Amino acid sequence: MNVTARQALWLELMPFYIHEAWLLDERRFKEWLDLFTDDVLYFMPRRKNVLRREAHREVTPLGDLSLIEDDRRYLEMRVARLDTGMAWGEDPPSRTRHLIGNLVAEPLSKGEVKAKTAFLVYRSHLETDHQLLAGSREDVLRRVNGAWKIAKRTILLDANVLLDKNLSIFL
Amino acid sequence: MDATQKYSVIDPTTGKIDRRIFSDQAIYDQEMERIFGRAWLMIGHESLVPEVNDFFHTYMGEDPVILTRDRQGELHALLNMCRHRGNRVVRCDDGNATRFMCTYHGWSYGNDGKLEHVPGTSEAYYDALDKPSLGLVQARVETYAGIVFATWAEDAPSLEAFLGDARWYLDTVFNRRDGGMQALGPMKWLEPVNWKTMVDNCSDNYHVPTTHLSSARVQTRYLGRPPLSHKDQFESPNKHVFVNGHSITFREAPDNTPRYVHGISKDTFPLFLAYHEATLPEVERRLGAFRARHVQLGNHSIFPNGVLGFRLALPRGPLQTEFWHFVLLEKGAPEALKRAIRIGSQANNGAAGLFEQDDVDNWRQVTAASKSRLGRRISQDLSMGLGHAGPHPEYPGVVSERYISENNQRLFYQRWEEFMNAESWAEIPIAPITARFEGTATIRG
Repeated sequence: MNVTARQALWLELMPFYIHEAWLLDERRFKEWLDLFTDDVLYFMPRRKNVLRREAHREVTPLGDLSLIEDDRRYLEMRVARLDTGMAWGEDPPSRTRHLIGNLVAEPLSKGEVKAKTAFLVYRSHLETDHQLLAGSREDVLRRVNGAWKIAKRTILLDANVLLDKNLSIFL
Repeated sequence: MDATQKYSVIDPTTGKIDRRIFSDQAIYDQEMERIFGRAWLMIGHESLVPEVNDFFHTYMGEDPVILTRDRQGELHALLNMCRHRGNRVVRCDDGNATRFMCTYHGWSYGNDGKLEHVPGTSEAYYDALDKPSLGLVQARVETYAGIVFATWAEDAPSLEAFLGDARWYLDTVFNRRDGGMQALGPMKWLEPVNWKTMVDNCSDNYHVPTTHLSSARVQTRYLGRPPLSHKDQFESPNKHVFVNGHSITFREAPDNTPRYVHGISKDTFPLFLAYHEATLPEVERRLGAFRARHVQLGNHSIFPNGVLGFRLALPRGPLQTEFWHFVLLEKGAPEALKRAIRIGSQANNGAAGLFEQDDVDNWRQVTAASKSRLGRRISQDLSMGLGHAGPHPEYPGVVSERYISENNQRLFYQRWEEFMNAESWAEIPIAPITARFEGTATIRG
């Protein structure tokens, strides 16, 4: 069977996202960091209740207050603090399950690719705390030394008031 | 507890507090009445409703409230409850509208709260409906340097009296520049904690080197921020002061040091320093040389539910609090500096904040300990620094001898008792304003 270029891209990227999900759920965060470029922007805007006709205001733009707006250094700090033995929000650690699907990928210019996925992430913490986080990721991927890396990730949570006590896990 | 019973939850001679105030539903219900039904509450910022007809949806305790700027530019705080059956008339977080229509039967209100239109006024109501008495319920509104406060209490004193000498300190962050501040936010999340745990924590600098050491360490390593230790905290020249109900900590800053905590790193320090130096003449004119050069507000809370500035702990039952995180930026600051402060604020505090994510399990377990049979009978110990606070020759309020103290927390729970035991505002003590407010800044900005 002939595979189109778009299908080939899909077949290449889906295992990338499955691999990433296992890295997160197995708490291999340093390997997970290797999936990002040095100039990465890891961005989680806020989600507002606005009227349907004002849908353009629903997601807060870059430059407004966001939930997360990390560069590589901040992402590294989040990972490095887990090893200090005193990152109490994650020690004992959360048990997570990242389900990633609905991949749509399309080429951009300069060899970059836009990849959109949906996620359901279950988090269980301590005795009975648990939360289901749903949303989407829109990534810009770039090849660095032959391997795909995430140059920009925009995470859109499907929540207005977050029901979780904190966001101490990675999405 | 019935209405005539007086609360005595803290023993001021030992610092022991009755843990049931963190979990008891009847006490919580009375807090909603006697604290959140009475006090001036922070509900928003003028910059969230900059234009005529703008609105911002907020809360006073558990009551949903619409902050509006009406057709004439006046601010209103309107209970978001249709006077017919009680449906909300606004379901958006913010927007711009001249009228709010109830989606149940179509009653429509102006953004000044007046009931303007009722379908079937003649046909169904026989022109007998008393529309002027059926406007949206309005709270009193006053502002401090752009921060909007509201109260349901007709007999409350002015906001100026309510803030009192606390404003002498608050001005050093919220009232520095002629152009005022811009609020961004909020991010909102639900924490399984009693609202008082996060308010009390604002004056708890004792927890910082334990709770937050992991993030402090990596920020020292990656951002070149100063190391954090118990020794630094115990030797800190910073001050801890309780002023007219409000809990303040502040830094006695040497001359010419920048005045922000969040966002300062090795890389951004020159930005902060240049801005500080460039704005010092203006700040001296506004606040007087002493406050401009020596006083820098630190962690603090405005009674009852302000948490580190314009951030809100909104009660949602005794065991839950909805937390709202905003960042305030000086409008006239350079964009690069605004960016550094915004990123520092949301990366440290907030749902995913490197610091704040480690707070919540402590607070929730403090809350949960108040539920179990034995736990709730055993008091909390707030004895730190007992007998080591008093008046100060230079600083208004009750000043602790040391930065690390539980004096503010003890006085916060005494303030709580004053509200809970008062039959009316006339019984709630207000300290007279005695501080010298040098400079041109006023409560209006």
